[in-house]
Amino acid sequence: MPTVIIDGQKVEVERDATVLDAAKKAGVWIPTLCYHPAVSISGSCRVCMVELDRGDWRQLITACNYPVRRDIVVYISSDRAERARRGVMELLLARSPESPELKELAERMGVKSTPYPTVTESQRSCILCGLCIAVCEDIIGKAAIGYAGRGVDRTVASPFRQPSEDCIGCGACAAVCPVGTIKVRVHEEQEEVEISPFKSRGKLLVCEQCRAPIVSTQVGEQALGKVEMNREEFRELMRLCPKCRRSKTAARLEAGNIDKQRGGRVVS
Amino acid sequence: MAGDEKLIESIVGRYDGEVGMLIPMMQDVQAEYGYLPVKQLRLLSKQLEVPLSRLFAVATFYSSFRLAPKGAHEVTLCMGTVCYLKGAGGICEAICKEFRVEPGGTTRDRLFSFQAVNCVGACALAPVMVVDGKYYDGATAESAIEILHSLEPAEETAETSAKETAT
Ligand code: SF4
Ligand code: FES
Repeated sequence: MPTVIIDGQKVEVERDATVLDAAKKAGVWIPTLCYHPAVSISGSCRVCMVELDRGDWRQLITACNYPVRRDIVVYISSDRAERARRGVMELLLARSPESPELKELAERMGVKSTPYPTVTESQRSCILCGLCIAVCEDIIGKAAIGYAGRGVDRTVASPFRQPSEDCIGCGACAAVCPVGTIKVRVHEEQEEVEISPFKSRGKLLVCEQCRAPIVSTQVGEQALGKVEMNREEFRELMRLCPKCRRSKTAARLEAGNIDKQRGGRVVS
Repeated sequence: MAGDEKLIESIVGRYDGEVGMLIPMMQDVQAEYGYLPVKQLRLLSKQLEVPLSRLFAVATFYSSFRLAPKGAHEVTLCMGTVCYLKGAGGICEAICKEFRVEPGGTTRDRLFSFQAVNCVGACALAPVMVVDGKYYDGATAESAIEILHSLEPAEETAETSAKETAT
């Protein structure tokens, strides 16, 4: 196994592990934004830059996607590496100046503000990391959003900037967005979920008892499609929110009429 | 409309349904309709089993793909350095607001296609607006809007040039 010396500290990692993996193993923190273990690595944000020792010179590399194939020496807290990361952070801050998540990370990196002019409203605080697009296509299998435009006008958008018909309202994009640009909005009266800013909407499954929203109907259907529903009792429970489900089960337990067998069996 | 479906099918067939030939297929669609209609892109996406978002990404990446039909008139606003310094930015904004159009787009009523370009080579006349090849010098937001309002409306059969293809 190749060894990586990080700021003087030695760790061993599997061949083809990344410098980021090595740093994690060594307990050294490297900031990341576009990295997410669930999707393939794009290396687009550049906030994870570190220095790689090349003998008589040092190269700046992105830690999240640099594979370790031999014994290497990297510097994370060298002046140049820190300066490079701060420089990137200043650029990112210009794109997403209002994001609390980004500001927090910037602060942790010692960046207080950005010297660059901030972007316009139409670019909507997105740092173009691509995580939302990747998760929607690779994990959810929908590809309801993608890049649109090019160069400085590049944005993430749904097709024709209209609510997407492929969107199932799962909210995975909002969950992975590192700067909080994508939001899941629940419209209680209409019993609809909206993925903002794409304006894609879906009907919500609401609890039969308390009307609390559970998930979008399409997500519900997809999830239930993976479960064999052989008992009416289970089906009934699925139409309730977790809270009502618990109290119903508790009531049943109390009445002593719950049987041992579980209601559903996962088949795939 | 079965006809549209057939046409898309034949375009896909021309390239043996090869997904890698997406761009030539889209060029053919544009050659056929003069632009890339939403419906046809949807059909293409279905037939190729390529997400619509990917087609949209391609269509917006290349500037020679058009997502809206051409308008009856061609309006070009110069945004070159001199025109810009003399207020072309404000004129552009005013036009966009008044006609609810974006640079690169066409007005809803297809009255005109609007383009903001980097230099039309007539700096001495700045700010310049070009309408169907005619140069208007010393334009202001007011004069530009007035000129555009006086354009002949599009005929019902707003013909689109079918020959142009993307490069
Ligand atoms: S919306 Fe969020 S997740 Fe998507 S590209 Fe922008 S910053 Fe990344
Ligand atoms: S986290 Fe490494 S490039 Fe974004």
